[in-house]
Amino acid sequence: MIIRWICEKCNKKWIYPVEKCVYCKGNITKQRGTKLKVAGITKVFIPSPMHPIIPYNILLLQDEFGNRLPKKTMKDYKVGDSYVEEKAKTDDAVSIVKVKYDTYEAIKDAVGLLKGNKLEGDDKVLIKASIVTAAYPYQAVNNNPDFLSALLNVLFDYGIRKESIMVAEQALIGSDSLDAASKSGILDVCKKHNVGFADISKGPFEEVESEGLKFKIFKEALNRKVINCPIMKTNFQIGISGAVENLSRLVDEQTQREMYFDDIDKTLPKLVKLLSGSIELITIADATNGMQGQGPLSLGEPAFLNLILASKNAAALDAAFCEATMLDIPPHVANSSNTGYIDAKNIEIVGNELDALKYHIKAPAPNDTAHPDIKVIDGKACPACLNMLYNLSSKLVGLRGQQINLVIGSAITDTMLKEKERLVALGDCAIRKLESLEARPTAKICENMDEIEQILLLKKLLVTAGIPKITPVDKVKTKMKKLLSRVMG
Amino acid sequence: MFIKGVGMTEFGVQQDSTSHMVYESALESLDDANMSMEEIDAIVLSNNDILSNGERQRHSASVISSLFKKKVPIITMLAGCAGGGTALWTAVKLQSSGNYNNILVIGFEKIVANVNKKVTDEILMGTERIYEQSEGLNFPAENALVMQQYMLMHGATSDDFASVAYKNHQNAFLNPKARFYNTKVSLEDIKNSPIVASPLRLFDCSIPANGAAALILSKDETDIKVLGSAEGSDYIAPFEREDMTSWDATKLAAGEAYKQAGITPSDIDIAELHDAFTSVELISYEDLGFCKKGKGKEIIRKGITSINGKLPVNTSGGLKAKGHPISATGISQIYELAKQMRNECGKRQVDNIKYAMAQNIGGAGSTVAVHILKKVN
Repeated sequence: MIIRWICEKCNKKWIYPVEKCVYCKGNITKQRGTKLKVAGITKVFIPSPMHPIIPYNILLLQDEFGNRLPKKTMKDYKVGDSYVEEKAKTDDAVSIVKVKYDTYEAIKDAVGLLKGNKLEGDDKVLIKASIVTAAYPYQAVNNNPDFLSALLNVLFDYGIRKESIMVAEQALIGSDSLDAASKSGILDVCKKHNVGFADISKGPFEEVESEGLKFKIFKEALNRKVINCPIMKTNFQIGISGAVENLSRLVDEQTQREMYFDDIDKTLPKLVKLLSGSIELITIADATNGMQGQGPLSLGEPAFLNLILASKNAAALDAAFCEATMLDIPPHVANSSNTGYIDAKNIEIVGNELDALKYHIKAPAPNDTAHPDIKVIDGKACPACLNMLYNLSSKLVGLRGQQINLVIGSAITDTMLKEKERLVALGDCAIRKLESLEARPTAKICENMDEIEQILLLKKLLVTAGIPKITPVDKVKTKMKKLLSRVMG
Repeated sequence: MFIKGVGMTEFGVQQDSTSHMVYESALESLDDANMSMEEIDAIVLSNNDILSNGERQRHSASVISSLFKKKVPIITMLAGCAGGGTALWTAVKLQSSGNYNNILVIGFEKIVANVNKKVTDEILMGTERIYEQSEGLNFPAENALVMQQYMLMHGATSDDFASVAYKNHQNAFLNPKARFYNTKVSLEDIKNSPIVASPLRLFDCSIPANGAAALILSKDETDIKVLGSAEGSDYIAPFEREDMTSWDATKLAAGEAYKQAGITPSDIDIAELHDAFTSVELISYEDLGFCKKGKGKEIIRKGITSINGKLPVNTSGGLKAKGHPISATGISQIYELAKQMRNECGKRQVDNIKYAMAQNIGGAGSTVAVHILKKVN
């Protein structure tokens, strides 16, 4: 489809959405060209960072109104050929659509390309948003407010009533959901569209058992059609936070902790399979401004991907995203498929071809923190410990010293600890695990330890070559700091 | 307004700092004008702040202030590949305001300083970001689509475009400042060069280069008068224009420049045109009024724009073979024309020049500066 924004009075055309004509102040309407023909074609043999795979073709498409548009493809066409956007033939297909200045059209297009009826007027819908921590939209940690606004407009177009829509999310353990929803701009969008926002952490939950695990699932999610809306991000711990990971926050805090304790790569896929089998689930992923690098809590940075992905199969969508961004498909995604293995070549892709989309985004470095001397050995820690890790390490940036290895989570093995020195167990799971492995950490930091004491201990570890000791003077200083911080608010 | 002095570095892959290249070209222009920096009372620059060359230097105006120890007004003009011509157009407007006697105009760029794909990406940023960049429509691809439409509409052939490249390479062979100086390129080399973006071959594309070019625009009467100076614009993406094969920005700028000069296209004796791609030179013949629409191929087939033809075009070698250091290109065109008008071009000298034209394009016909110079006795 080719869209032009046209002035109703003077017929001036724009390739961008504009509100009003700057000449005659006339209203603007969209002109949608759907009968596309190939008016020109070039085969390109020079690579660039965003287009590393060559050769590729660029078609010059022309619609019934004479409007033109370039389109990258790996397929061969001839001048004069018709160009038809094929719809999905299978239920597990993934549609990938580029946003051409208009997120609303891209979402509509992405959903429209999927097989069968997806969303209808009588639906009661739960939008499982992605709002993990309090951050501004430009930081690309949470759903872009423009994405949610466009999605709501699409749902209204389908005839779904405002009162039938609930936007729901809980921030990562340790973060306040309403704060996060407010700072991200999502709450404002809900208010603007008169749609309710629910903090999932407040429940109620319903316990459902599957494959020997008990999941306390947000009750509303079991009674509604769920639109899973991850913002596509890299994640230092599990590779990517995408469609599969976004579903992990449909369960209560205790279940989340247990899922991480029992190895999130194995437990999360069980939840995903349970949900897929018991509720109607469609993922519409926000990859407008995604994230690359370390992920939401650390040094991640926006990736201006400008994509919308949609699928009824969350794992297939994640796998397609990994393939497009040239990242490895992580275990929690592969395990979420029925076979425990995903080959992106076997996924039906509509909208854009994967090879035509592919370029490298920055992959996460699994052992790095914001501090150059503080490394991580991650045993799939829960979000609470991850939060603690990033809080502590970022507060010590600027204080250089001896390298230390913070050990977090319970999925620690002897191999992971091999040849690693100055281990510091962070969090109760890691402390217990190191004890069971008979490893002797240089220090232990419990979860219930005061934050100022945690920082003091880490400081000492950085600046002391051997095993640091907390002296009575240190304790007095800590108490003074605590007092001061209370007085200062 | 008059051109009092010109200077330029060699266009090539030298890794001098941009400051060094700027200094070298400015010094040559001052020597050419028999002037000192003392007499310069404003400076107009053009440069693209290329990120991939390792210099990481923004705010060129203040760098130039340090370099020349000058505290006069210094302004920077950005217009993609039309930066040099646009800087000159700005200087002409500035001088016509009455306050500045001698304006130094400099275009400079260091772009060949990284691997090809980084340089490609750097240049790609000059195309429209959502429809073009995200679809991999870099400048060669964009111009390939224009070229293909031109071929379909007007029956031009690949051989016509190869002839443009061959002509310009022959000229560059004679130009000591050209990147292809003294380098033989045969018609067979051109026709057999690899496809870059079909139907464009490698030798249909201009060659990136590093370099700087400077001129002094003065109120003092010299032998070269600026008779016309005009600027035109068009939408960024050729696909959104009514006709992809005829560029309004050139037609608008040329129309205005002819009007200012009081001459017609047939009066032009020599021209430096923006042959970023061979197809652009052919289209420009038409847009500048040297022939009717669709007849550009006839001009090259008849040899009219060869060095011995009726209207020699790109005697310097053009962007094609002299090299294309983005913002320096527009000023280097004036350098060539000034040298030609002063009979200082040796083996590539053209006789009896009265009127000369420079056409400098940014993007695929998005910004165009056209200048007409007159030889004054």
